[in-house]
Amino acid sequence: MPNKKPIKSISTGSLVALGLSVSSLYSGLEAAETAFETKEITKEKHQPAKMEGMACGANMNMDKTEMVCGSNMRMDVTGMVMYENKEKLPKDCKAISEDVTLEVKAGIDHAKPYPGTVFGLSDHEWEVKPCSRITVEFTNEDEIRHQWMIHGLPKYLYPEGMFHIEVNGKGKKTGTFIVPSSNYTYLVHCDIAQHMEKGMKAQLKVGTGRGDLPSIPGISAAKFSDSF
Amino acid sequence: MRLYRLSFAFVTLIFLPSISMAEFPAAPATEDTFLGLVEPFCPESIDPNWRKQQQIENVSIAPSPVCDPDNPYDIATFVKGTNNVSMATIMQTQLSPDTLIKKNDIDGDGDPDEIHIRLEVIELNGFSPDQQDPITTYNIAPGIQPGFWAFAPKSRGMSNESFASTKANTLLRLPSPSIRVEQGDKIIVTLENSHYFPHSIHFHGVDHPFQKANGEGNDGVPQTSNKLTMPGKVFSYELTPRQTGTMVYHCHVQAHTHILMGLIGMFIVEENKPNNWVQTFNIGAGFVRQSSVAVKEEYSQEYDLQYQDIDRELHNLIQQGNDSRLLAKSFNREYNITERTPDYFILNGRSFPYTLRESLVVIKPEEKVKLRVFNAGDQMLSLHTHGFKPTATHLDGVKLSPEARIQRDVFTLGPAQRADLELYARNDGLNNMGEGIWTFHDHNELGVTTDGVYPGGHISSVVFESFLGPNGMPKVQGVDVSPFFTKEFYQRKYPIWNLSDENKLYGEIAKTTKSSTTESNEESMDSTQIIILVFQILLLLITLFLIRKTTQKSNA
Repeated sequence: MPNKKPIKSISTGSLVALGLSVSSLYSGLEAAETAFETKEITKEKHQPAKMEGMACGANMNMDKTEMVCGSNMRMDVTGMVMYENKEKLPKDCKAISEDVTLEVKAGIDHAKPYPGTVFGLSDHEWEVKPCSRITVEFTNEDEIRHQWMIHGLPKYLYPEGMFHIEVNGKGKKTGTFIVPSSNYTYLVHCDIAQHMEKGMKAQLKVGTGRGDLPSIPGISAAKFSDSF
Repeated sequence: MRLYRLSFAFVTLIFLPSISMAEFPAAPATEDTFLGLVEPFCPESIDPNWRKQQQIENVSIAPSPVCDPDNPYDIATFVKGTNNVSMATIMQTQLSPDTLIKKNDIDGDGDPDEIHIRLEVIELNGFSPDQQDPITTYNIAPGIQPGFWAFAPKSRGMSNESFASTKANTLLRLPSPSIRVEQGDKIIVTLENSHYFPHSIHFHGVDHPFQKANGEGNDGVPQTSNKLTMPGKVFSYELTPRQTGTMVYHCHVQAHTHILMGLIGMFIVEENKPNNWVQTFNIGAGFVRQSSVAVKEEYSQEYDLQYQDIDRELHNLIQQGNDSRLLAKSFNREYNITERTPDYFILNGRSFPYTLRESLVVIKPEEKVKLRVFNAGDQMLSLHTHGFKPTATHLDGVKLSPEARIQRDVFTLGPAQRADLELYARNDGLNNMGEGIWTFHDHNELGVTTDGVYPGGHISSVVFESFLGPNGMPKVQGVDVSPFFTKEFYQRKYPIWNLSDENKLYGEIAKTTKSSTTESNEESMDSTQIIILVFQILLLLITLFLIRKTTQKSNA
């Protein structure tokens, strides 16, 4: 028998802060996109990145030299950084407010503080000022792939509204992006099947944020929790 | 006298009500039935260009005229290796740059002989703490999403199709992909355990040493050879198979649940031939768009057909909890395989009617087609082909001598058994009975149902090209197939013959609730009925009075 019961109490004040957008993880982020863009949201299919760069036609290097494919994709055997943006300001930002560096570690050892989770992150929440330029230094301590993927960014700067670092086994990759001015809570996760559900979920609060997302280890309760 | 009075009273009591109800009761009316949302036979999201014959990275990719063919860029990459194709091609796939490394032509015959394969372990239709529905979804039939685990070629990026969708990307599916290598290749298979449970790989029937050169175990069996490969860890197996044939790979950790959850696929060793660039992965099994040199010499086409059966009780466990300790307990200590009953039956990861989108065998007269049939389930499979009597050329990967070859129309395979069949479209009444849409199905009747609803499960068809319509739809001339493409059909909500049944002989009976029955009776009650009722009550009272009187007398 399915035992999925929605948890009715949502953490302090977040219901008010998030308003309707808390109702689902996904609808919440769509709401954010509408805040940034006036045009209609279309549920677009995942499209491979446009290939403009010269290196795109060449064969994959098996050494660790990153290849650039298009203007916002670099990849090698150790991983990739997608939709990086170091310069372009969001429409609502006049200047970059601050430069922030986030050092994030990922791996099974970081799941230990949260019993019942398997995959972990060293941090599950970051707070930055509106219009910050954020550099993520993402270290993977496991032998498999992990991702630091953020959703809900303005699509005119970030295809699919996302910025993504993927590290293929033990190693480190660094990438930079700029957030808009609105107060908002962005979802950060690893989108490998079940990695978010089993612990790799975090949030980035810009300005005052907009409450907490559900089921973040150490921060918020699950909407559908286990019965013990 | 007393006895007479008593019996009179009883007779009155028994017969009077039936006299009053003697009117003919009309049967309830037939209700209009709502046929639910009918999914299109072939979804529009499928790129029709994928079906065409094409040349990518100098790989000639055979046409695949079915509705839902494999991505040709995947095929090119699986033939050449991720290290030998351009980044532009990789970008048309979701493969990682190191998924498949092919190098070193050791025997100098024009193809690479050192092959490094990387597999991840993925979960489909798993639990989400954020939403009611499962996540990274994969439907085996309309509305049916059992939880699965599968091996998948190492990928990159998102598991879900996009942020707006929770559908799994096309590399993540059932069955675990067929893997093809060449005889004598030096093969490394690296298991990258991206799943939350420990796993392993056992190469079933594939020539491999018990230990690797460094002394580590190589058989994938926790009890005898290998430590568990824990989440986040990787382990490499090494093999140089000397014998050819249709073999198997599967997880050997808690095999009674892990294999059935989907961690099983075909491992095919092809003959060593010059310029033999084999298609290392066949995603979702099915049609092989680039067959090996040896297969091409004898056959015009080749298909991998993997059959599985699904016990919902097992597969739903992953949808009932998130905590790794709860999940381990439910799989390892609570699930009781002695009570196993299969509910769903899948061929190449889908049940009928979805099998028609992907697993049609499309054939021309006189063609000779190779079918590699694998029973990866826990039930017997009795595969029957309409219109053909195929010939078994290999059993469990071992070639049969010409005298030992068997030609028949039902091939029965137990769990883990394989048969290589030759399907020969020679219209001689034995090999083939002529052109048409010839269904091939499990003749274990349970196997052709989905949750007990027929038709479902292990059904697909051999379709002659002259019977294939646009978008890979066979030109069927039987009943309207739309009900099979609704969730309601498999929820038992739709009367099966409704679209053929103009007079509604077998329609849905209109619902009459108890309260409404009473109401209508009261409304329709006329004065005669009321008089009868009053009379009855009176009679009842008299009888009671008489009985009382009798008892009093007898007591006295």
